Amino acid sequence: MKWRVVELEVHDASMNMALDEAATESVRKGISLPTIRFYTWKPAAVSIGYFQAIRDEVNLEICRQLGVDCVRRWTGGGAVYHDLEREITYSVIAPLTLFPKNIVESYRLICGWIISGLGKLGIEAEFRPINDILVGSKKISGSAQTRRGGILLQHGTLLYDLDLKTMFNVLNVSKQKISDKMIKNAEERVTCILRHSTAGKNEVYEALVEAFTDGKDCEFGSWSEGEISRASELAENKYRTDDWMYLR
Amino acid sequence: MIAHIKQKVKEGKLVKVDLEYDEVITGVKITGDFFMHPEETLEEIEKGLLGLKRDATDQTIAYRIREIMEVHDAQMVGLGPESLAKIIKEGLG
Repeated sequence: MKWRVVELEVHDASMNMALDEAATESVRKGISLPTIRFYTWKPAAVSIGYFQAIRDEVNLEICRQLGVDCVRRWTGGGAVYHDLEREITYSVIAPLTLFPKNIVESYRLICGWIISGLGKLGIEAEFRPINDILVGSKKISGSAQTRRGGILLQHGTLLYDLDLKTMFNVLNVSKQKISDKMIKNAEERVTCILRHSTAGKNEVYEALVEAFTDGKDCEFGSWSEGEISRASELAENKYRTDDWMYLR
Repeated sequence: MIAHIKQKVKEGKLVKVDLEYDEVITGVKITGDFFMHPEETLEEIEKGLLGLKRDATDQTIAYRIREIMEVHDAQMVGLGPESLAKIIKEGLG
């Protein structure tokens, strides 16, 4: 099986989610190869899970003040703050037949590629079902998956650095003022690459590419014109609309 | 009557249920950080719970949820029909 790898790109939140959906359609139709992509978010954004209520999860007023974007994902799971400089996001879009039928086992397989990438940086990490990766006992990566029309889409984030204060300000962790105690509690639950390695972000990205492509026949490519045009349409008519944003 | 119940379920995820009811359930909204494939099945579950009697047992509620999931060949991850039914039952008082 040949794979396409779309190297690190920067898009806004709606376009990032729209590209995942457009590629899912295109892989399903057999127009595009199974795809691995890496990307970051500009402006920084909060993505919420398909089933989450945006007003419960996101402090929309603070997001507006800070210029932080918001988007509802096509996948379930929790709210994530995507900081342009402090994380790397990936997506894997491929036929379901390439993965274990069991959902947790398919998370384990793809998360294994991230764990392998972290291993190349000298960071020992482990998969914690359902969808997390831990270093020590702290979360460094979270993923979310959907399965539609025979295609699996899994996307997830890997924390390179942490800005807990902004993270807590934009996410509705609590209506209370962000306290030092809360930051300290989170410090005990969340970690990032820079806490375990001096690797530059580019080095981390290269380790991920190596781990994700290991043993696969890969072609480094880009989006087709059809995918770009479909993604632009989805970004505009789905992901940026209030109907989608306030779905729940 | 209105009820809002928020719980971390034994399968691992956080689930919030907003309920409206009199003698029967008249409104349900289920939110949280769980997974369900296909995702749209949750809307069918919400619709399918309407009209269920307030004194329905959690087994009856779970049965209704499972029925809808079977029709849509749906799977929940981080949440199960029984856990969801228990939360709804708790909301119904």
